[in-house]
Amino acid sequence: MKPERTPGRYIREEDLRRLPGVIEYKPVARYSYSAGQALSEFLRGLKEGRILGKLCPSCRRVLVPPRVYCEFCFIHTTEWVEVPGTGVVETAVVSYIGTARERLEKPEIIGVIRLDAPGYREGSFDFAGLFHRLCGVTEDDVKSGRVIGMRVRPRWRPPEERRGSMLDIECFEPVQP
Amino acid sequence: MSLWKKSRVVDVIHVEGRMETEKYVYTPGLAGVKVAEALIEGKIMGVRCGGELYIPAKTYCPDHSEGELVEVRGPWVIKSYTIVYEDMYGEKLDKPVVVALLGIEGARGGLIHYVDVDPDKVRIGLKVEPVFKPREERRGLITDIMFFKPVEHS
Amino acid sequence: MKPNIFVKDKVAIVGAGLTLFRRRLLETPRELAWEAAREALNSAGLTLKDIDCIVVGSAPDAFDGIHMKGEYLADGSGGFNKPLVRVFVGGGTGVMVPAVAWWHVASGLCKTVLAVGEEKMSHAYPHPQGVFAYIWDPILERPLGPNLIWIFALEMRRYMHVCKASKEDIALVSVKNKRNALDHPAAQAAANITVDDVLKSEVLVWPVQLLDISPVSDGAAALVLASESVARRVTDTPVWVEGIGVTTDNTHWFNRDLAYPRYLEYAARMAYKMAGIERPWKEIDVAEPYDPFDYKELHHIEGLMLARRCEAPKLLREGYFDRSGELPTSPSGGLLGVGNPIAAAGVMKVAELFWQLRYEAGARQVKKPVHKAVANAWGDLMQVGTVVVLST
Repeated sequence: MKPERTPGRYIREEDLRRLPGVIEYKPVARYSYSAGQALSEFLRGLKEGRILGKLCPSCRRVLVPPRVYCEFCFIHTTEWVEVPGTGVVETAVVSYIGTARERLEKPEIIGVIRLDAPGYREGSFDFAGLFHRLCGVTEDDVKSGRVIGMRVRPRWRPPEERRGSMLDIECFEPVQP
Repeated sequence: MSLWKKSRVVDVIHVEGRMETEKYVYTPGLAGVKVAEALIEGKIMGVRCGGELYIPAKTYCPDHSEGELVEVRGPWVIKSYTIVYEDMYGEKLDKPVVVALLGIEGARGGLIHYVDVDPDKVRIGLKVEPVFKPREERRGLITDIMFFKPVEHS
Repeated sequence: MKPNIFVKDKVAIVGAGLTLFRRRLLETPRELAWEAAREALNSAGLTLKDIDCIVVGSAPDAFDGIHMKGEYLADGSGGFNKPLVRVFVGGGTGVMVPAVAWWHVASGLCKTVLAVGEEKMSHAYPHPQGVFAYIWDPILERPLGPNLIWIFALEMRRYMHVCKASKEDIALVSVKNKRNALDHPAAQAAANITVDDVLKSEVLVWPVQLLDISPVSDGAAALVLASESVARRVTDTPVWVEGIGVTTDNTHWFNRDLAYPRYLEYAARMAYKMAGIERPWKEIDVAEPYDPFDYKELHHIEGLMLARRCEAPKLLREGYFDRSGELPTSPSGGLLGVGNPIAAAGVMKVAELFWQLRYEAGARQVKKPVHKAVANAWGDLMQVGTVVVLST
C-alpha cells in the first residue's frame, strides 16, 4: 500500500516544553489601514446614519459596500446613491467562539444581509449586501431557518457614539410588520 | 465629475490595526534538537556530507541525502564583518557592536555572531573563539554563546 | 478527445510522497519539505540531480511564523540553484501546486518538476485560528471580531437552506471520510464515528461543530511531474495530468449567493475542456473534492459537476460516494480524516489519485476500475477554485 513510508515525528505539547532549543517569539506589526476612496465616504455615511452605495453606470447595479470600480464591467462607478438599509437575511449562524477560538460567554448571531438595491444582472447571485450581527432573533430562529428571508433593517447607535466604523450600526434587527 | 476622487489625505479615513498573535513556538527540528543539546554541552555542530563539512548543522545535505552531525572545533576565523552603530529602531548604540561571519578552515558556510573586539582592531582573518554562558543558563539556543573573542596570543 | 495544441509536452505524475500529518511535528518546516520531497523522489526512482525546476506551495506566512516561506523552504524542497516558484492561493494552494508544475512542464521549460506543499500550523499560539483573523477586511469585517469559521458556517447554513440538507446529511461526509482515513498511514483524525457523534461534538459556530471540521495539522506532501519522454523512461505507469483549471472570484463574498461554488464550476469547466471531458458525472471514476469542512465536499461535488445541484446529499446517503460506490470521493479520508496542513493537504489529495489510478492504494483502493480522476482545492474568501484532472 502506498505511501509505504510516512516520515515525521509527532510531539505532544508537554514534550515540546522539555526540548532544548525551542524558540518563542511574539510578533507585533502595527498598521494604519487606509479605507481608501470609496470606503472612506461609506464610513462617513455610516456616521450620518446612511448606507451609501455606488452605482455602476453600465450594468446599473448598486455596489454595497461601495467600490470605485464595478468588477464585472471593469469601469469607474460614478454616482453615489443612498440605499434604504432594509433587506432580507441571506444566511445566518450562531457563534459560540471568538476570534482566537475562545468560548464566548454569550453566543452571537451573525448574518449576511441582502439589501434592497439592484444587484448584478437579475441580482440573484451577485447582490448588494452587508455582513453584520443580527439582533432580535433567537438561536432557534437560526437553527429552524425562520431567520432566512426575514426582513431586517439596521439598528443605529446614537449619533454621538458613531465614529465612522462598521460598528456605527449596532446590528440588523427584524422589521416589525 | 466623472472620476470622483478625494485628493486630500485628510479626506481618507485610516483605521489603526495590528497583526499579532499570542506567540509563535518554533520546534527545533530533527538536527536542531541535537544541535541544542550540543550547545548546552558547549559544543558547536556542523554536518558532514560526503567529503564536505557544512556549518551550521542541518538534517539534510545539499543533494538531499541525510547528513552526519559532527562537532566542529576551532580555530574560528573572521571571514567578513560589519560594525553596527544603531539598533533596529535607528537609535544610536552606546558602543558600536561588531557582527561577523565566522568560519573554520576546511568547512563551508559559517556562523553569524557578535565579536567582542575593538572596532578599530577587527580584521578579516582574525582568529576568535566562542565564549559560552555559564552552563546552567544555557538553553540550547545560539545565544548560549554570548560572543566570540579574539584568541589570546600567549 | 480534443488535444490542446498549445501544449509542448504531455505531463505525467511519476512519484509522490508524504510525511505524517499531525497536530505538531518535531521537524522544522523545511525538514518536513525535505522528508516529503525525498519520499517523492525515491518513489519515482529519481534523485535531486534529475530535477529541473521546483514548485513550492505554502499558505500564509503567518502560520509557520516565517516570512518569505518560499525562499525559506527552498533548500528543503531541493530548490536552490534552480528555478523555484512559491505559489499561494489560500487553501487552493494544494492543487495549485501541481497545476503550476504542469505549466512548467507543458510549456517545455522544464522536463522534471518537484512539487512540494508544506504547512506547519502548530507554531502559532494560542490557536492558528487567531492568525486567520488577518484575512478579514480591516475596515468592513474585522471590527465585528470575526472568527474564520463564521464564513464557512454562513456558507453551510445557506447551502442547507437552499438544498434542504439537514445537519445529519452533512455529518455523513465526516463519518465517511474519517472512516476512509483508517486505512491511511499518514492520517491524523481517522476514526469510526457515527452521525450522532458529530451532532454531539462541541458546537463552535452553529451549524458548524467540532467534528464537521478538519483538524489543525503539520505536514508536507510532494509530487514529481515529468514530461512524456522522461515519464515513459522512468515508469511503466505514468499518471497523466490531462487538464488543469484555476479561477479566482472576488473577495466580496457577502455580495453573492454562497449556496453554489461558482469559482469551482468555472475552474472545473476549464480543466474538463482541456481533458476532453464532456460529461464529468459519467466520465470521472474517482474524485478528491476539497473537504476542510464536511458540507464543503458536497458543495464541491456539485461545483465539479459530479452531481446535480443539491443532489449530493441524497447520493451520499445512498452510498454513491463510498469506496465501494459508483463515484468514490475522498477515498484517502480527505482533510477531515487525514488532516489539513493546508498546502500539503491538497497535494495529498492529488497523490491519493495518483496511487488510486495506479492501483497502489492497497486497503484504500476503490472497488471499481478507475481511469479518470479529478481533485480540487479551494481557498481565500470563498474565492479560488483549483482543479486537476488525471488519467491513465
